[in-house]
Amino acid sequence: MDTKELAKAQSGVKYKKLGHCLGFIGSNLALIVFAIFALFPIIWMVTCSFKSDAEMYNTVFRFTPTMANYHAVLIGTDYFKAFLQNIVVAGGAVLLTVVAGVPAAYGLARYNFKNKEDMAFTILSFKFAPEILVILPVFLIFQKIGLYDTYFGLIWVYQLITMPLLIWVVRGYFEDVSVEIEQAAQLDGYRWYEIFFKILVPLVKPGLVSSALLAFIYAWNSFTFPLILSGFNVQTITITSLRYIASDSVHYGQVAVAATIAILPEIIACLFIQKHLVRGLSFGAVKG
Amino acid sequence: MAVLKLEHIYKRYDNSEKKLFKKAKKNDFAVKDLSFECKDGEFIGILGPSGCGKSTTLRMIAGLEQITAGDMYIGDTRINDLLPKDRNIGLAFEDYALYPPLTVYDNLAFNMRAKNIPESEIKEAVERVAGLMKVDDLLEMKPLGLSGGQKQRVNIARALVRRPGLLLLDEPLSHLDGKMRQQLRYEIKRMHHEIKCTTIIVTHDQMEAMSLADRIAIMDFGCLQQIGTPLEVYDDPVNVFVAGFIGEPPMNLLRSAIKAVAGGYMFTFEGSELHVPVPERYNHVVKDGMAVTLGVRPVDVLIAGENEPSGTPIPVAIYEDLGDERRISVRVGENLLNLTTTDQVFYEAGDKITLRFNADKTHLFDIETGNRIRE
Repeated sequence: MDTKELAKAQSGVKYKKLGHCLGFIGSNLALIVFAIFALFPIIWMVTCSFKSDAEMYNTVFRFTPTMANYHAVLIGTDYFKAFLQNIVVAGGAVLLTVVAGVPAAYGLARYNFKNKEDMAFTILSFKFAPEILVILPVFLIFQKIGLYDTYFGLIWVYQLITMPLLIWVVRGYFEDVSVEIEQAAQLDGYRWYEIFFKILVPLVKPGLVSSALLAFIYAWNSFTFPLILSGFNVQTITITSLRYIASDSVHYGQVAVAATIAILPEIIACLFIQKHLVRGLSFGAVKG
Repeated sequence: MAVLKLEHIYKRYDNSEKKLFKKAKKNDFAVKDLSFECKDGEFIGILGPSGCGKSTTLRMIAGLEQITAGDMYIGDTRINDLLPKDRNIGLAFEDYALYPPLTVYDNLAFNMRAKNIPESEIKEAVERVAGLMKVDDLLEMKPLGLSGGQKQRVNIARALVRRPGLLLLDEPLSHLDGKMRQQLRYEIKRMHHEIKCTTIIVTHDQMEAMSLADRIAIMDFGCLQQIGTPLEVYDDPVNVFVAGFIGEPPMNLLRSAIKAVAGGYMFTFEGSELHVPVPERYNHVVKDGMAVTLGVRPVDVLIAGENEPSGTPIPVAIYEDLGDERRISVRVGENLLNLTTTDQVFYEAGDKITLRFNADKTHLFDIETGNRIRE
């Protein structure tokens, strides 16, 4: 091979390397653009929270940052109380969903009984109906039985939106676990609850964690139920945020502050269990 | 070490599809009137096609299925109502059923941890079985990273770590490929040799049963067909099912009409020229015109020599030379009669040969019931 050909081949390698490099930069650039696009609402919201009402409507990113909105929301109103109450209601709803939903999912996955599929579908169908459709009868019933404006009332009604997803995801996971594993543990001399907690729960954990997180987000963001079913005793931040919309003016800055603080728990939770989140929801679904 | 005794065991699964207001149709028995006994240290193979009730039987012994009727004993204890963990058995599941989040070591130790045995003793016991099943270098791995053969070895080791009186193996080799299967078969045999534990293996592969078991119980449709040593079930099958199930290549089973000729009887076959003399020992049980199922293994079909008493020559239909043996098939009516021989004989399709059967190994079966007709 003469030197000419060799040089040609080498330059080919060079071009290849260059192309590879460009591809790398290009794909990353595209991803960065997409990330900005996806995160833009959050960026916009955070900037809004630092703007004064006068500067609210300018679309250039030049404004004098002010903490007035934060001061107004955190000191001036009982936002903090609503935040805590929201944690109690949403956390309680998820807790109840896990405690009741995991055994339900296990039952639906393992046992054969009459109308099993109908029952599973009925549970799923709770999520089909818009909340507004059932809110009026629920409101009347809650007033009659004294659940109106109570923690438990909200936690209970939240099950409609948190339970179906968890049952269906976790059920898929239980179905993937071979019965023989349970039987092996049974032969090993473990009691049913030991088998459940030591063997089964670790196996369904990815699905359980991710669906519990989604349940938490549903409950945290719920608007219709707390709007109608709660009053002064129990307030959630979704409803409290409404207060910054007065009849004559809308304090967008204060709404933005309320929303910014409100998404914090969700973002923190998501970051913590990011690892489980993607695997948890896709794995079971594909395999099941 | 244990003696297992099954007495008239029946099993019927409940019909789960109960309809409202309608009485559920009862399922057929999955296991019917099953009785046998395993001696101490014996290796029993339960063999049968899928759905014959063999796994159900094993699961009843393990205590994972309720027994519908009958009694089961380990030693002198009736175990019908004993919990699985109290039966002192080890069960190796068909699809391994290892605990995925635990390492192999923890999988093996899992049983003893339930009993709060000190960790030093656990370590000793795990190392003992790990050495026995050759999984000692896998102890730190998780089941997900193991190959099928390794998983099955761990699975068997986990059954053994309980020091069971009775070891149950549910199709241990069925998910493995050919070479691994052979290797593990050898390992199981060696393991049984070393610990002499009463063992029951369930399998649908007759080779496995023949090579491993001291005695084979053959089941079909929930009924025990025959139980005996591998040689007994091979040479002396009690009915057509056992005859056809055991042996590779399978026994020739042909419908034949007996015809009286001067000095004895001949097998004749519909739509075929083939005539083969009936062995003399059957002379008092057969009569002219009787229809029987003739069973003869390919190795017991012989090519008759020049001056032997024999029937009509018949053309060779298929000739295969497999190197160490030759397979010859002749057409008999709509069926093929196969013979294998290790002799150096060479034919081409169409060549005429005369056949005779090895008289001691020719079996007759009742055409209706399939039961053996004995001389």
